[in-house]
Amino acid sequence: MARFLLTRTLSTLFTFWLIVTVVFFLMRLAPGGPFDGERRLPPEVETNLRAAYNLDKSLPQQYIDYLGMLGRGDLGPSFRQKDFSVNELVATGLPVSLTIGGLALFIAITLGITVGLKAGLAPGSRSDMLLMGVTNVGIAMPTIIVAPLFILIFGVALGWLPTGGLGGFTHYILPPIALALPFTAAIARLTRGSVVETLSEPHLTTARAKGLTERMIIRRHILPIALLPVVSYLGPAAAALLTGSVVIEQVFELPGIGRYFVQGALNRDYTLVMGVVVVYAALILLFNLLVDLAYARMDPRIRLQP
Amino acid sequence: MYILSRVVFSLVCWWLLASPLQSAETIHLGNPGEPETLDPHRYNLRLEETILTDLFLGLTTFNARGQIVPGAAAAWTTSSDGLTWTFTLRNGLKWSDGKTLTAHDFVYAFRRLLAPETAASLAYFMYPLKNAEAVNSGKLPSEELGARALDDHTLLLSLEAPYPHLPERLLYPTGYPVPKHLIDRVGDAWVKPKNWVSNGAYRLEDWQPQSHVTLVKNDYFFEPVEIERVSYHPLANEQSAYNRYRAREIHAISSFPSGELDRVRKDFASHLRLSPLLSIVYLVFNTTVVPFEDTRVRQALALVVDADLITVKVQRSGNVANGSFVPANVVDYTPAVMPHLNLNRGERRETALRLLREAGYGPDNPLRVTMRYVSGTEAKKTQLAIASFWKNIGVETQLHHAELKVHFADLRQGDFQVAQAGWFGENNAEHYLGLLVSDTGNVNYGRYANPEYDALMHAARQKANVKVRNVLLRKAEAVGIAEYPVIPLYSVMIRRLVDPAITGWHENSRDTHPVRFLGWR
Repeated sequence: MARFLLTRTLSTLFTFWLIVTVVFFLMRLAPGGPFDGERRLPPEVETNLRAAYNLDKSLPQQYIDYLGMLGRGDLGPSFRQKDFSVNELVATGLPVSLTIGGLALFIAITLGITVGLKAGLAPGSRSDMLLMGVTNVGIAMPTIIVAPLFILIFGVALGWLPTGGLGGFTHYILPPIALALPFTAAIARLTRGSVVETLSEPHLTTARAKGLTERMIIRRHILPIALLPVVSYLGPAAAALLTGSVVIEQVFELPGIGRYFVQGALNRDYTLVMGVVVVYAALILLFNLLVDLAYARMDPRIRLQP
Repeated sequence: MYILSRVVFSLVCWWLLASPLQSAETIHLGNPGEPETLDPHRYNLRLEETILTDLFLGLTTFNARGQIVPGAAAAWTTSSDGLTWTFTLRNGLKWSDGKTLTAHDFVYAFRRLLAPETAASLAYFMYPLKNAEAVNSGKLPSEELGARALDDHTLLLSLEAPYPHLPERLLYPTGYPVPKHLIDRVGDAWVKPKNWVSNGAYRLEDWQPQSHVTLVKNDYFFEPVEIERVSYHPLANEQSAYNRYRAREIHAISSFPSGELDRVRKDFASHLRLSPLLSIVYLVFNTTVVPFEDTRVRQALALVVDADLITVKVQRSGNVANGSFVPANVVDYTPAVMPHLNLNRGERRETALRLLREAGYGPDNPLRVTMRYVSGTEAKKTQLAIASFWKNIGVETQLHHAELKVHFADLRQGDFQVAQAGWFGENNAEHYLGLLVSDTGNVNYGRYANPEYDALMHAARQKANVKVRNVLLRKAEAVGIAEYPVIPLYSVMIRRLVDPAITGWHENSRDTHPVRFLGWR
């Protein structure tokens, strides 16, 4: 187990380094620079700016400097948000992204499992058909369509909920729902599928023969088995919900790190984009590592593989 | 399930308590993006200027109608050669922490702006000051800068050459004072809300990046102001700005989708505020590449572009066609328009075809042009219209678009044939005409060079009297425009929506609306 842990951790670190390196050089390859705009920049001024942001050094030197900073946990100064360091920006943006992603995950799991169970327990019934029809639509409709529709209906036309920005509780309703919809639908279909499968298992007959109530059977004998595929789906889903909020944050004008990422890329804010990529990569790799370790714990065959 | 519902319930309660109460005294304004800095010496964007105008006060300032009026300076005098300006400060000026503001603070600020280590991208705004360019490039120490405090109330500015528009230059954030006593103590962290000190009608209270910047009344400001608190929200997307305005979350927005103009005129007529911005959008020819080094080709292409048709029929967003390189709404100046504007449509087409024939282009050898523009719906419609004008005289146009940064980086490198460009800003002709001077550098995108034009511009820049200056500038414009280095197209119309309950809002050609002049009905 120790050897497995070591190799998995090392390969995760290697992947992390690879991502940082590729993004660092890709970003520099993009045409346009952080100080390009409509206004003129006299050569003296450009020299001053490049010196202030370390851009007067050679590219390899900048790369080594960046890795050094990263090692110290410093993501550097933002090129464009001059009054903030990238660490400060991530510290203000990450909680917003995590809240939206977390709420969306919560909605996707509770709603998805409830709907899937309801449909799966009566396969072929009218409610099953209806629910699965709705989830089909949910999967097919991309967030980029659903979110503006929500804004138009609930924000502009009905005036019930704010159309964007951050403020009170009401600002946290539309974005997580819009983000959660496709995942809710996916979880519902997964749950339904495995519930239907579990229904034909012989141990349910035994349970019924013992005289258990339907409620107990569902809780003790159907759900735990039916939810296994859902659990394995949660690793990638959690990562996707976190990164998926890039679109939601743009549409709802939320100050999360996904929005920084888009703005940073447009502004050639090298350090900000790098910082957000580093955080995303670290989170996703961590999720994957945890899932791998959990699998290894559950299934001895995996940890014996080289 | 019971535990779950309890968790949800407590979460809801927490959020309700944690949500800030929407104060009725706060005015919520949309700003077209997130400020990159609130350090007035490091600023670079109009949207930062908007916020900084509320936070600071320069020697001169805008009034509610966008006119230049005394600010921190009560009055000023100019020497007869126009090289020395003496400013007298108002009595009793204070910083927002109650400390007295003196002429020494302005000297410190000008030196800081031009110090190379400040890396101010707009430092060149102050290049009219004596030795400013040398100080900014590190060739002279900052003490050599032409800014001196004679006493606490008197500031003396000496210039490199006469510059009658100095009062206009001084009202931008690059001319704002910054609190030396604070910067000495906390360094770059002075811009954090917890440290913040400024001398304007408001001070910085809170800044959540990508969410809002909130300013609160500065009790030490010399004039009373009505609005207690102002929150600027970055609304980069016109559609979401429009949505949030309609949902009554924002009191005024800086723009809305141009396609909604007709509907807004019908449904929210009392909210609509249109103001023609001092600006010129134009097409620029790269005069160093074949065939655009040939004046005949440039003229032929210019002849058939109908800017009226573009603004009235194609864009329909209120923009105003402009036949000169200097916007028509610049004060005290009569622009020189393109010479062909007195011809009718048929004559223009005839002349254009003849010019192209003379330059060697015709049905057997059609002129092929690649035109570049900044990505966007309105720009695309405009460029398509221009391409169709050119098609009428047998010119084949290929369109190429790129995002703003890439577009202008390419233009500066001269990597284009014909391109869309724009210039915004000042209320004086040389701000625009300066772009076509041969030693202007890479914002003379087309590398236009004409010794006669240069000589006239140089002569104008030596004159201290605005009228004399403008006569020379107009001559220069007439010489330049006749060679068609650019095709002026239109001035931009700013489309704002403003809550009718707000008072003191006046449309103006600078599109400036300091909150200290606003109030509630």
